[in-house]
Amino acid sequence: MAVSAANSDNAYTAAKKKKKWQSYALFFILPSFILYTLFVIVPTIGSVYYSFTSWDGISADVRFIGLANFVEIWNSPRVHNALQNTLILTISLVVLENLFAILLAMLVDKVRWLSNLFRSIFYFPTLLSGIVMGFVWAMMLNYNFGVVNQLLAKIGLGAFTVDWLGDPRFAMLAILLSTVWKGAGYYMIIYLAGLQGIPQELNEAASIDGANGWQQFRHITFPLLAGSVTVCMVLSMISALKIFDQIAVMTDGGPGFETETLTYLIYKVGFGELRQGFGTALAMVLFFIILIITVFQVKILQKREVEM
Amino acid sequence: MASRRWLKLSTVVLAASLVLSACGGGSSSGSTANTPTTGSNGNASGGEAPKEVSFTIGYATGDPATKKAIADTVQRFMEANPHIKIKDISETSSAAYLDWLKTKDAVGEFPDLVEMRDTEVFADAGKIVELPSDLLELFNDPPKVDGKVWNAPMQVNSPQGIIYSKKAYEEAGITELPKTYDEFIEIQEKLKASGISPIVVGGKDIFHMGFWVNKFLIDQVYANDPDWNSKRTAKQVSFTDANVVQAMTDYKELFQNYVDKGWLSTGDNQTASFLVTGKAAQLYSGTWMFTQIAEADPNFEFGFYAIPDREGKVNVIGLPSPAGWSISTEASEDMDKVEAIKQFIRYFFEPENYSLYLASINAIPSTKEQVSYESSEQMKVVLELMADPNVKKSLAINNWWGENQIPPQFRNWYYKLLQELVVKDGDVLEYMKQADTEYDNEVKANAM
Repeated sequence: MAVSAANSDNAYTAAKKKKKWQSYALFFILPSFILYTLFVIVPTIGSVYYSFTSWDGISADVRFIGLANFVEIWNSPRVHNALQNTLILTISLVVLENLFAILLAMLVDKVRWLSNLFRSIFYFPTLLSGIVMGFVWAMMLNYNFGVVNQLLAKIGLGAFTVDWLGDPRFAMLAILLSTVWKGAGYYMIIYLAGLQGIPQELNEAASIDGANGWQQFRHITFPLLAGSVTVCMVLSMISALKIFDQIAVMTDGGPGFETETLTYLIYKVGFGELRQGFGTALAMVLFFIILIITVFQVKILQKREVEM
Repeated sequence: MASRRWLKLSTVVLAASLVLSACGGGSSSGSTANTPTTGSNGNASGGEAPKEVSFTIGYATGDPATKKAIADTVQRFMEANPHIKIKDISETSSAAYLDWLKTKDAVGEFPDLVEMRDTEVFADAGKIVELPSDLLELFNDPPKVDGKVWNAPMQVNSPQGIIYSKKAYEEAGITELPKTYDEFIEIQEKLKASGISPIVVGGKDIFHMGFWVNKFLIDQVYANDPDWNSKRTAKQVSFTDANVVQAMTDYKELFQNYVDKGWLSTGDNQTASFLVTGKAAQLYSGTWMFTQIAEADPNFEFGFYAIPDREGKVNVIGLPSPAGWSISTEASEDMDKVEAIKQFIRYFFEPENYSLYLASINAIPSTKEQVSYESSEQMKVVLELMADPNVKKSLAINNWWGENQIPPQFRNWYYKLLQELVVKDGDVLEYMKQADTEYDNEVKANAM
């Protein structure tokens, strides 16, 4: 009886302590919560309102225009073009970035000497700012002064020199390659962690059973990387849908509108063309596109994880 | 009346150039105003020390010569007026000037004193105030928007034209300048045959597209109908009309046949080096390039002319437009700031200082008071064009105002469409239909 009372007292004290800790926790969370609310939640809610207005972004005159912005988005060839560019870029980036990341991770995982050096080299582009990287690539790909064309000319392939960023056939490709170069190293680290979590015995057993390298990858490594694949696919997809820096610096959405993506269009119409309301409506559309694609992607990939 | 004024002005400039060349100091600027005024508000009188004031300034920095000329004036002003601090927040970015200004406004950093180009837009938005009445006396009838003067015009719009390498022309056997557009095209053929890229275009910077596009639009459209923009807004004319289609066909053919291949990767600031290094024979641009070219290679010999149209008539940019220094509404609420800004504007336009600015960018003065500086051979051609009553003066598509103002977002969109027209070898009529649709959408959107 006495023991029971003592236990009850201890439980009460523990609960009280726990409760006290929770109130302290709230106290610590409050500053961040206020800042987050002020600078993220409130503007986000505000932007919902602005998406139904014709606000130009500079005047005090904010007129409610109902669904007019969304109707224009639905009918605008420029938005359709930007959406198409965004989807092409996103699908290509998700595939290529993950493909290269897995290859690099396997290479770094297998290499016996200087593995840390290789990891650093492959990861290094990730640390560069998108703007700086864009400028460097733009210089390298410049038609007249760029190292790529100069190299081609020097090795006798002068006929293959093209305006990489000014030719509609190559501009998107140039954006794609430079972005893969920058992003693959980041996903490589995630895949590397996944690879190092795979028990070596499985590959050894498969090897004894006569499985070749491809069969080991197809039936052991890749299925066991399913968790990493989910994370990397979702992250690369979100980052591809939001691509901005490279476009802004390397092509300005051009030539013409050839590399104009949704995020870049949002910036152009919102800031350059004095249509903040329309730009905000576009941002809302992009938000829902990302939300829907992410939900589907996670569901499909998680189902695949379970199956594997 | 206007031509007489230009004749008078050109005479002053020519006279100044003769006097100065006689002095022969070997100075590259050769200006009469090499010793700028020291300012007027020092505290040497021994009275109460003037109150410390600071304001921000923002201007377009796309052209290095203009950027340096303004930055130098600001520096000299602050040295002469130590109690006034001017914070130069101008930035050279890949964005268009309007984008930059809009971004500055969005982050609450709209400059107190700003070089305004889209005057009507910012005046309607209440971002700038009317120019203080006591400053109006400085200028010759500055343009009004809604009956009000919003800017202190930094210079008069001056003609653009072909800046050509004399050596390249000589090597291609070109001995005479063209009298018609067809003769101009013959010259392009000769240059091409001589192995040089005929024309360099800085298409990476969207504003540079405007030089050529407006040359053709002025010849075919604005020279005959200065009110075309307002008629387009009222849907009385169309981009698919024969004159616009002809203008854009000429533009497309010129770009596809005679423009340097890497034009979309070439920035405006690279064009001077293309010219002086012999990579291209010609550049279509404005007077501000003369200094840049001369600085890039002092020994480079170049000439300037306006391209005639098919009938041999010459039409150039040269009408006044509402642009220049404007005071922000926010700054106007602080009287100390307003006084400091007014003091700077007066300093900027004092002949001794203004002549240095004008000489740096080869511009034409907008002030009542005569300003002289040594004009180059190329600048003399510009002054002759301005003084010639047979040369029709006009404006670029986006520089008209009032009823003739186009939707502010249309210019860049249109120039991009025209880039696409060239690189995709598009059908001009189809592209002009797109232009009509977009124009109408933008008019409708702006009316909401």
